[in-house]
Amino acid sequence: MTAQTRLKKKDNQQASSGLKRRKLADFIATSVVTTGGIAVILSILAILVFIGIETVPLFQGVKSELASSFVLRESPELSSYSLDNSDNKAFSFIATGMEEYREIGFVVTRDGMLTFLSLTDGKTIKQFPLTELEDSKITASFESVNNKLYSFGTNDGFILPVRTNYKIDFVEEKRVITPEITEGDLFKVADASLIKIAYEESEEDGGSAAVAYTSGGELLLAALVEPEDDFGDSEPKQLTHNLTEELHGNTVTAIELDQSLENLFVGTQNGKIYHWDLSDKESPEFLRAIDATESPNTEITALAFLLGDRSLLVGDEAGNVSVWFEVPDKSSPTGDILTRIHQLSPLELPVTNIAASARDRGFIASDEGGNINLYHATSGQMLKELSTEGSSVQKLAFAPKSDGVVAIDKEGKMFNWSLDNPHPETNIKTLFGKVWYEGYQKPEYVWQSTGGTDEFEPKLSLTPLAFGTLKGALYALFFAIPISIFGAICVSQFMHPSLRNTIKPTIEIMAALPSVVLGFLAGLWLAPIIEKIIPAVFTVPIVLTVFTLITVFIWQYVPRGIKGRFKDGSELFILLPVIIIGILVSLWLNQPIESAIFGGSYKEWFYSVLGLQYDQRNSLIVGFAMGFAVIPIIFTISEDALSSVPKHMTAGSLALGANRWQTAIRVILPTASPGIFSAVMIGLGRAIGETMIVLMATGNTPIMDWSIFNGFRALSANIAVEIPEAPHGGTLYRVLFLAALLLFFFTFFINTIAEIVRHRLRKKYGQL
Amino acid sequence: MNKFWKNGDPFVWLTGVALMFSLLMIAGLLWLIMAKGLGFFWPAGVTEFELQNDTKIMGEITAHEQIRGISGKSDTVEDKFRTQLKIGNRDLFGLDFRWIDDDQIVSQSEPKYAVVMERREWGNFYGFIKEITKNGAVICQGNEECWPKLEEDILVYANIYKQIRKIGKSEIGGINREIENYRLKIRGIELKGGNPEQIKQIEAKIADEENKYKEKEKELSVLYEEFTKEKVVMLSVDGREKEMALGNIVLAFRPNAMNWFQKASLYAHRVWGFVSDEPREANTEGGVFPAIFGTIMMVLIMSIVVLPFGVLAALYLREYAKQGTLVRIVRICVNNLAGVPSIVFGVFAVGFFIYGIGASIDSFFFSEALPNPTFGTGGILWASLTLALLTVPVVIVATEEGLAAVSQEIRHGSLALGATKFETTWKIVIPSAMPAILTGLILAIARATGEVAPLMITGVVKLAPQLPVDGYFPYVHLERKFMHLGFHIYDVGFQSPNVEAAKPMVFTTALLLILIVIALNLTAIVIRNRLKKKYTTSAV
Repeated sequence: MTAQTRLKKKDNQQASSGLKRRKLADFIATSVVTTGGIAVILSILAILVFIGIETVPLFQGVKSELASSFVLRESPELSSYSLDNSDNKAFSFIATGMEEYREIGFVVTRDGMLTFLSLTDGKTIKQFPLTELEDSKITASFESVNNKLYSFGTNDGFILPVRTNYKIDFVEEKRVITPEITEGDLFKVADASLIKIAYEESEEDGGSAAVAYTSGGELLLAALVEPEDDFGDSEPKQLTHNLTEELHGNTVTAIELDQSLENLFVGTQNGKIYHWDLSDKESPEFLRAIDATESPNTEITALAFLLGDRSLLVGDEAGNVSVWFEVPDKSSPTGDILTRIHQLSPLELPVTNIAASARDRGFIASDEGGNINLYHATSGQMLKELSTEGSSVQKLAFAPKSDGVVAIDKEGKMFNWSLDNPHPETNIKTLFGKVWYEGYQKPEYVWQSTGGTDEFEPKLSLTPLAFGTLKGALYALFFAIPISIFGAICVSQFMHPSLRNTIKPTIEIMAALPSVVLGFLAGLWLAPIIEKIIPAVFTVPIVLTVFTLITVFIWQYVPRGIKGRFKDGSELFILLPVIIIGILVSLWLNQPIESAIFGGSYKEWFYSVLGLQYDQRNSLIVGFAMGFAVIPIIFTISEDALSSVPKHMTAGSLALGANRWQTAIRVILPTASPGIFSAVMIGLGRAIGETMIVLMATGNTPIMDWSIFNGFRALSANIAVEIPEAPHGGTLYRVLFLAALLLFFFTFFINTIAEIVRHRLRKKYGQL
Repeated sequence: MNKFWKNGDPFVWLTGVALMFSLLMIAGLLWLIMAKGLGFFWPAGVTEFELQNDTKIMGEITAHEQIRGISGKSDTVEDKFRTQLKIGNRDLFGLDFRWIDDDQIVSQSEPKYAVVMERREWGNFYGFIKEITKNGAVICQGNEECWPKLEEDILVYANIYKQIRKIGKSEIGGINREIENYRLKIRGIELKGGNPEQIKQIEAKIADEENKYKEKEKELSVLYEEFTKEKVVMLSVDGREKEMALGNIVLAFRPNAMNWFQKASLYAHRVWGFVSDEPREANTEGGVFPAIFGTIMMVLIMSIVVLPFGVLAALYLREYAKQGTLVRIVRICVNNLAGVPSIVFGVFAVGFFIYGIGASIDSFFFSEALPNPTFGTGGILWASLTLALLTVPVVIVATEEGLAAVSQEIRHGSLALGATKFETTWKIVIPSAMPAILTGLILAIARATGEVAPLMITGVVKLAPQLPVDGYFPYVHLERKFMHLGFHIYDVGFQSPNVEAAKPMVFTTALLLILIVIALNLTAIVIRNRLKKKYTTSAV
């Protein structure tokens, strides 16, 4: 090989190795860019997916699973108890319950024995005889909704309250629960056997009350009142009242008493509910008797209070389950009437038990056919159906954390279900429709997510918020559209192009202003000022129009020599001082107008004549502030659209004799209208998503009212305010995600339409 | 008359009104913020009023308005006015501001010796000097004698205060950090099984640090003694006395005795203090330095994230992907994302970054600190990422426009000369598109500086105890919460206990924010113009 070919070969080799390196670099770059680009785009779109996933659990139903079931009598300690299926009243197991971890439950038998057993296999853990009872037999039982206080009525007229306690220890990282009981004081209510009882202890004043229906047909109330003076250890006074009279001979089949010892409801065999007011223990007041069933003489078989003690749950012989509460009504002597709010999906056979959740407004109801339905009262829906394979449910208990159900059927078999029901309150109807909340006169749209107590009924309707968002956006557009579109027409049609180059950046500065600043000025500086000069606000447009017309009139007579000095359109700058003078004149007129037309105070006038309340921070302020934020957007895009109209159209129109106004309005504007429409859409999208201005310039009250003088609460501001406080994974948290999803879709939809319209417009101009 | 309407001029002028009104609104807004913001630092004169009920009241005049009666109607035909005074002395009077009816005023004057003091607690004080004591002994009496002494000594005590702060914050703070780290280490060892030897070693180290702490405490108590040695007794206008340590006075001046030049230098001093000091009195006084720092650092982190990803995505869309309907749809989607409300991004960040990734990071790397979250709660990292996500469409759109502006001929020429696609892109296309890329970046920054809503829920706080950057490893603490100028405006304006006192400060902060945003926007325009000239190829 010659030196030359060797050199050439080396060159080629170097060239080819350099080429290989470069090709490798190219390949790496392509893969990096492709993966990176796709990843970025996907992650942007993933936002939507993620938010959507977080909202899905709201609409998922309830999951249930039968965790265990066992025959009670198979346990040696319980084998001796009779079931005696012929007579329901002799069913040995008279009460059941469980602790919050659902590991240990208990049953109480008529001989006064309380047996704690394991819920996994039914094996007895410990037995406690209720010693206070001595030889009496239990004939009735009652359970307080907090799952801890149980009371038993005896065959000789006594009532015994019993509390269960569960001591929890952690031994080597495992939870060990030790159950025990505390027996209360036995007290006598009557001389006969008690068939039905109710007993509650008031936390506030330490008093308690018991209501009992005896085998002799008497309805008795025994109230234990703590003495007013606490000198020494005086016994609580027992006040006994006989309430049988008002029953007019009807047989009592269910009794319910609330925890504050103020309301007593008694259900009877002929389908009536009797209501007493017990706030004054010295003299209980009979309020009313109502027909609570669809067809008369259907026995009321179960009564229970929902969490919060305001809603009454009624179950009857026909299997109907309904929710009642008091609704304000001026015609009633007490100011309200007990109204049936929901008639829920019925059970097939007579209702045997109703147990309310201790956490939310859900409850379970069982019937003689072994069916157990899980309902949610506020939304009026049935969430789940459970079944004990056909035999009547005798005793029912709802787990303290509402994550399980325990039932004992007629055959003495205990069933233990676990429930997964994280969001019972929400369905499409409660989120968007009208819901009848406790204490309201009729179904309404309400947003009130949290209250002061645990028993508060969360009201999660997104409708007032969506309404608020729309209201704010519409008022903003109402202010912004005329100003920005007319301004755009002015700049693109009537002004010299060089002026355009100074005006456009100025308007763009408007767009750059952070909305925090706008919101702050609106809320803290503008709102107090506007409050004083409302009449002036309404006279400004009129005054400005008049002044402008005067200026035009005068301008006609200005000598041509001076007129000619002004570049095309720059004579409009004369309007600057005119506007300032106009505003000052309006302000000066504010006082006289207010005295003359509004009788001195416009607020009073609005209220008495129009029925409108004036809030300092209201939609007018928000309209100004958001309008200010939206004007540059609409202006820029409209101005672009108007300027892009081919000049030959303007030229042609003017040549045919139209004046510049006619040209602008009749020729240019229609041609550019898609662009202007697109601009308005984008402005609308911006107004809907605006958070800070709305947060700072409105009163943030979730009301649904079109009045311009009161505030509103928007979806965006609501999210910003409530998400830091929403527990992760809870209902409020997910509803806020749903609100964000709504905002996302709405703005996305609007912006897409605007983009498509703009695209078409560009094509169209290419063809013109 | 008809002719008047016929040529359409009135309508033309009415459109002009709309335009001029907008221009006036912008100008008015900017002027308002500048006047109120800049005016805040100018030392206003102190006026003393004698009222009809034989009382005296003294302070700065802050407002003057016409009175409306209780029912909202204005009173009789005569104009009635009232004046608002900032009377300060909250520890004596209970409130900062008072309204007095103009017709109650008997006389007013501007006492030369009236002193305005900015204090570390209780806000401003307006009064006269009675005497100065040092270690209990009176060293001077009266306004004339004490004033020069006061001026000098305030500086001395300002130094002592700085020392106290240094020891307290950095030195003792450092010791505390060490102790905390050791404690976390012990907890980590315990979680993994527990080696008593190691634990003992670390406990010995903790004991060491605690000794150091005790020494520092001694130093501090010496300084504190020194700090409170000298006291001044001030007379308020109603005759009451107030004793305060000179160390508690930040600034003292006599506005009625200052000439224009002195006022101007005080003005400059206060402006500098505003930008460099830390906030006092629940953010209603002092400076906004932590907020400025937080805003800038967040924007920096955001830019580092958004620039590469935005350019990458735009490159992919424009250069590497097959142009068709799919890419067009993707482009429309990305454009639209710029219009999605910022709060949606915030919500996403809360769910995905904070409770998702943050919680995972915590359980892997910071399990000793649990249940206190480290990354499982808001912080500067998550806030920056949220804003990066928010502004990435802006960068993508701007970069795409820049890439589209590069003519195909240049690309073809480069490829024809043997360059690979990567080389063409990297060496020719991107530099030409650089002005557009930078514009996009700066627009993104300008937008991010003004956004507050998503930050509110991802890591901004009213008052951050430390800056995200300090002298301890790893020096940049991405999990810390920070302060932000925009949020500062919202918080001080709407959630502070004394909104009247705070309002001037909010105007100033708003002015600062606007200046930053306008400066960024102008920079974008200037850079774009400059680079356009540099990279414009000659006409072919």
